[in-house]
Amino acid sequence: MFALILCLLIPRFELLTAVGGRRELQHGAIALAPEPDREQVVGAVSGAAEACGVHAGMRLGEAMARCPELRLVAADPARAVAAWESVLVRLEAIGAAVESGRPGEAYFETAGLRRLYGGHLEGVLARTRKAIRAPARLGVAPSRFCSFAAAGRARPRRAARIVPAGAERAFLAPLPVGLLRARKEATTLPRSRSADLPTVLERVGIRTLGELGALSADEVADRFGRTGLRARELALGRDTPLAPRSAGERLVERIDLPDATSGVQLERMLELLIDRLLARRERRGRVFRKLGLGARFVEQGTWRREVTLRQATAERERLRLVLTPKLAELPAPIEQLRLEVVSLGPAIGEQLSFRRPGERERRRRLHEALRQTRVSIGSEALLRVLEVDPSSRIPERRAVLTPFIYGEREAAVRPTHITLGCRRSRPDIPSDAEAGE
Amino acid sequence: MTRHLYRPRLVTVQPNDHGGPAVVGRSEVVAIREQWLVEDRWWTAHPLRRRYFEVTLVDGADRVVFRDRESGRWFSQKGA
Repeated sequence: MFALILCLLIPRFELLTAVGGRRELQHGAIALAPEPDREQVVGAVSGAAEACGVHAGMRLGEAMARCPELRLVAADPARAVAAWESVLVRLEAIGAAVESGRPGEAYFETAGLRRLYGGHLEGVLARTRKAIRAPARLGVAPSRFCSFAAAGRARPRRAARIVPAGAERAFLAPLPVGLLRARKEATTLPRSRSADLPTVLERVGIRTLGELGALSADEVADRFGRTGLRARELALGRDTPLAPRSAGERLVERIDLPDATSGVQLERMLELLIDRLLARRERRGRVFRKLGLGARFVEQGTWRREVTLRQATAERERLRLVLTPKLAELPAPIEQLRLEVVSLGPAIGEQLSFRRPGERERRRRLHEALRQTRVSIGSEALLRVLEVDPSSRIPERRAVLTPFIYGEREAAVRPTHITLGCRRSRPDIPSDAEAGE
Repeated sequence: MTRHLYRPRLVTVQPNDHGGPAVVGRSEVVAIREQWLVEDRWWTAHPLRRRYFEVTLVDGADRVVFRDRESGRWFSQKGA
């Protein structure tokens, strides 16, 4: 028996949640408006907007140019996350180990559930439909991407689309390359800010996943790099294994704010929420790994940011230091602030000492911080200031920036400073020759 | 990848009658606090000759600029 992955898809879930009961918005070309402090691209779009050539992730200016009658709806991320969380909890209640990257899309393996529900796939599908209580599309296939494509071809409230093992490539072949937009790692081209991989593929005449899969890996790597190779793998029906979340308790604290709460007052409210979360009995001594900070605006809409802690902790001061800067990103007055635990760490976290940590411990922490910074920002992000001629009368001869390489051998090197490098080019910096050297 | 710290950055300067900076970028110079001359590599084909000025701008900022006497161009520099 082959392992089959079930994809549960509710297209435009965030858009539907944001529209809510506003019937006047349920028809016509609508799209989720970009968040004020984020990249100015539209979110999920309606079918009518799609028919005009607008798709999620398109720049706002281009979307409005393609579809002048497009109406923008303020995003309500907190509501969407809460609604989707209830769906995931219901799926977990039937025994599914669920992976979900975004609201409206969930995956789980069916093999373990078959014995629970009649010993066949149809039993699992029927139980899933009963659990979610919403018109969802279901697709079943041997890989995640293929099951997503299958779910996209299924109809809501109708039979699931099932792709048997071995038929993935043939099933995916006639489908458009635009389907890759569901997977960011197979879409984003590092050197192109204006076009994503599917757009570029369409420009060069590759319109289907079959055409992409027919290209050799070398050709794809030469032209599109790692993103292209990832897209080719998906087009051939191969995908990474599922990484289900661990089902756990949901700890949420919220506080309604009086009018004109801002600045220091808001920080005090956040501290209060942190204290309340730390005091919850359900935590049972466990540390926080990932937190969600949300707010409801006075006018309309909500705001939400997730914060993954570099080191799982339950220390009040550390949590305050990490979360407080996020309050500065709030784009409008709010009437409610909420803090929730997205993921808990182990019961015994790293026990911090009352004493000042020793040299070795401080160095270990520094190296861990450097490793995480390099992973998240890039290999050239960390630079070391190396003094060359500190007493020179010519300032630019005193020190140079060199790559900071961490490791056992480098542990003995004491950097003067460590700085986060800026990879933007600076055309106004003259070369040494131009500077008269 | 290695790059120098405090590299000079090209800046637009309007000189005054005495050859000192009167306007740096878009900011007027209200005071020249100090000036000095740096000469080096005069024995090579690419000598370095700079006249530095530490100035206070109208917005209160303190800047160090220099005029490269070989090319005649103005630069702003930190760390001087």
